[in-house]
Amino acid sequence: MDTIKKKILLVDDDLDLLEQNKILLESKGYSVVTADNMKDAWDTFKKEKPDVCVLDLIMEEHDTGFVLSHRIKRDEYGKTIPVFLLTSATYVTGMKFGAATGEEQEWINCDGWFDKPIQIDELTTKLEDTLLKYQQLKNK
Amino acid sequence: MNGIKPKVLIVDDEKGLRNGTQRLLQRQGYDVDTAEDGASGIQLGIKNDYDLAILDLKMPDIDGIEVLKEIKKVRPNTICFIATAFASFDTAIEATKLGAQSYIPKPFTTEELIKHLETGYEKRLLLVEADRLKREREARMLEIAYEKSRLNTIVNSIVDGVIVVNKTGELVLFNPASLKYFELNEIIIGENILGILPASVSELINKFIVPVKFENVSYSTSLELKPNRELCVEVTCSAVPHPDGSLAGVVIIINNTTELKKIEFVKSQFVSMVAHELKAPVAAVLGFMNLILDDSINISPEKEKEYIARSTKRLQALIEMVNDLLDISRMEIKKKEREIKELRIEEILKTTLEFLELELKKKGVSTNLNIAPGLPVIKADYNEINRLFTNIISNAMKYNKTNGSIDISVSYSGNYLITKISDTGIGMKPDEKEKLFQEFYRVKNDQTRNIPGTGLGLSIVKRIVESYSGKIEVESEFGKGTTFIIYLPAKL
Repeated sequence: MDTIKKKILLVDDDLDLLEQNKILLESKGYSVVTADNMKDAWDTFKKEKPDVCVLDLIMEEHDTGFVLSHRIKRDEYGKTIPVFLLTSATYVTGMKFGAATGEEQEWINCDGWFDKPIQIDELTTKLEDTLLKYQQLKNK
Repeated sequence: MNGIKPKVLIVDDEKGLRNGTQRLLQRQGYDVDTAEDGASGIQLGIKNDYDLAILDLKMPDIDGIEVLKEIKKVRPNTICFIATAFASFDTAIEATKLGAQSYIPKPFTTEELIKHLETGYEKRLLLVEADRLKREREARMLEIAYEKSRLNTIVNSIVDGVIVVNKTGELVLFNPASLKYFELNEIIIGENILGILPASVSELINKFIVPVKFENVSYSTSLELKPNRELCVEVTCSAVPHPDGSLAGVVIIINNTTELKKIEFVKSQFVSMVAHELKAPVAAVLGFMNLILDDSINISPEKEKEYIARSTKRLQALIEMVNDLLDISRMEIKKKEREIKELRIEEILKTTLEFLELELKKKGVSTNLNIAPGLPVIKADYNEINRLFTNIISNAMKYNKTNGSIDISVSYSGNYLITKISDTGIGMKPDEKEKLFQEFYRVKNDQTRNIPGTGLGLSIVKRIVESYSGKIEVESEFGKGTTFIIYLPAKL
């Protein structure tokens, strides 16, 4: 791990889970900034320029996470960083907003999904792998 | 002669011969009529179905050949003999050609005549029997045709699609519904339709057709013929065996399952939503427990206590949600034991306000109850109506401003008791108002974040109101307040 802590933007409207995951990520050596709604999340993203974003799927609306991911990935800075979505597995099936088609997935354009509750080791491994890929792309 | 007297017609202009033959034949057991000329011979021969007719060839008015022709036209089974003293080879041939049994030369002996008549009568009996069999066969054919058309009418009126193919996949029978389901314009009886049907259906049919020995079972498959559950069918293929057990063909039944699939979808969506809503608090509590137990993470005792308190709050909310869900489920299966009584709305409202008094005071919310005089009663279950108003008034309190107020009025109009409950709270935006009665829907913003709730309260309210054939309306202005108007039918 770099001496400079990597900064994660963590967004979830469940304040309990937000705090727990912040503590877990900090215990793994990351610096964590948080937001609990779409507007704050966007403002924090613009201000903090995080290295990674981890967004909960369902906040104010069913697909808030999708919309936020889409916006970040279209941003000049945002497209240079990985974005992950958190979801409850139950929602992938049976719900109308599931990212079923390739078109939808392209629109959301995120780098991966994690089921809630977060398995911290799984999350950090995937984070580091993806960060490394982005670094290699930048170096090219 | 088996007791049946053969009926004979004698047509002859010679009176002596006519009467003589009549007497002779009557003695032999024949039933004999006579005619003295051709015209009356034709008349009798047409009118009655004689077994046998003896026609004189030469008569003054109409000759025997002509009489024969006329009788045969109407009575083809009457066996006719031509009798003449002027026998010529040509007339004999002509008479036979026209259907005469034979030619009797005059004069004739009794034996000769009887021999002719007996042979003729045997033929007559054969002809009659053949006729009867023919008529019977025709009647049976008609019956079969009728049976077939009745079967067709029945098959055509079945809502399910029905297709029958033989053991090589050629079409034997179908009804219009089957064409509609598979969007086929026209199929022809005898045409091989395995290539026209959806592949999965043809596969099922092949399960019977392809093996040397078929099993007498049914195969089913579910198909979504139009996407997004617009048209779903269940296709069942069953073997039709011959009496000897070999395969005669396959019957394909197409059953419309669209409504079922739609209900299933709504159900699975609801289950999915419930699972998510239940998972969230459990995940939160589990997260806190794991943090407290994790030795690698340093948490102060104060924080630990806070986390336990927050866990308790989540669990409390979880219990409330489970209770609400149980109520909804009870309402859905209508197992909830209702005790229908005459109730006074104003009394229930007063009780509800008393019950909430402490909390109202805590929030500084004042209430104002305005009851029109002489209200009729309603007939309903006390617990349900109490639940209805408790849910709405506690919402009016929870989403109110500090030191706000709640106005409640009850009036009577058009056979409905109309209860209006207005608050001076945070109000709603139009799109939020629309989703208000959906299960688990909660308006989410900075102001509502810390207000506890299951997202099921108003859904329950709506179910209760509608179960009594009532109606609920909501008016709201964002930032100003919300009014719920509940219509319940009065008991007169």
